[in-house]
Amino acid sequence: MVAAAASLASSCFREARAATKPSKAALAYFAGQAEDNGVVFRLTNWKKIDSKWRRQLVKYRSREPQGTVVVDTGSHFLYVIFENQTALRYGVGVGRDGFRWFGRARIDRKALWPRWIPPPEMRARQPELPEYMDGGPDNPLGPRALYLFRGGKDLGYRLHGTLEPWSIGSNVSSGCIRMFSEDIIDLYQRCPIGTRVLVLKHLGAPVINEAAPVDAE
Amino acid sequence: MEKWRSVLVYSALVAVAALMPGCTTSGKPGVAVQSSQPFGDATNAPVAGGVNVQGGSEEDFIVNVGRRTFFEQSSATLDDTARLTLDKQAQWLLQYPHWKVKLQGFADDPGSAAEQKTLSQKRADAVRAYLASKGVGTDRMKAKGYGRDRLVGDCADIECTSQNRRVITNPQEEPDF
Repeated sequence: MVAAAASLASSCFREARAATKPSKAALAYFAGQAEDNGVVFRLTNWKKIDSKWRRQLVKYRSREPQGTVVVDTGSHFLYVIFENQTALRYGVGVGRDGFRWFGRARIDRKALWPRWIPPPEMRARQPELPEYMDGGPDNPLGPRALYLFRGGKDLGYRLHGTLEPWSIGSNVSSGCIRMFSEDIIDLYQRCPIGTRVLVLKHLGAPVINEAAPVDAE
Repeated sequence: MEKWRSVLVYSALVAVAALMPGCTTSGKPGVAVQSSQPFGDATNAPVAGGVNVQGGSEEDFIVNVGRRTFFEQSSATLDDTARLTLDKQAQWLLQYPHWKVKLQGFADDPGSAAEQKTLSQKRADAVRAYLASKGVGTDRMKAKGYGRDRLVGDCADIECTSQNRRVITNPQEEPDF
């Protein structure tokens, strides 16, 4: 079971940037800093971000109950369902084809400034990566992580932040479902333990488990 | 009115259909087109200001602060996450002093209906006390427990109960208390 979880976790990250200083082009995507739970981190420069990736209230017609998190991987949106057929919509980056998981899950664990353990295959390719990285502003998971479980088992998939705001809205080679740091902080408050999560190819697609090792629905 | 609506819907469908092929990165039908702007009641149509949210508006509170505080089973204690949310609520309320808030507490916990009513009141009271401790005037807040009412989901699983064990902070300009 540990091996299964590890191999799934490896599908979250295929590559990682070593914790080096960002390039000048990268720095343009940040503006200012803020402190959160004792950690100082870079804030997103919203002027560089397409407005459709900004957190906003939208109409949302669905049978899913309030509080459910729905991820439309095809359109790179994550929705938290509210009342009156509305939802709060965020932009996300998702894994590229072959590194994605679809299906139902539940948030059984949450972490603030989570630590990260790079999977063995990644460390084989990038030996400079540490065995273990403390939570902090250079950690690719960012300020929060929400861990997806099913039937009590860790699926190895997470909703987390990013060090690369330019990757929101795209299929990145690494990562599970990543959000702007400000957005994962916001989402964290809206999702108590037990929150239902649906990860779809696109809205209206059937809910299918393509990669999960646990019993399919 | 009906005719207008069907004309709008038809136009929307035509517009979206015309834009669909070849506009998406994958070229697959059914993937939402990025350049179309759905309107009316279609999923993804903007609500209120869309991305342009006015500071101090109710929408600002919903999008940038968060109305809900969640609780663990049988508990009215504010955990770290709850305090993060309430810190933001307090900050917002201090910044925009013309708003009052109705704090609605709910329960979906083991126990009788009366016990749940009491628990839901305790939850609302806990939120009120915390906001007061951060400087929000008590005359601006009313706390009421509704017991096991207005369920978001009705099942025994934590998926349902976690959503029900909550306090909702409703900003009101003309409060009904």
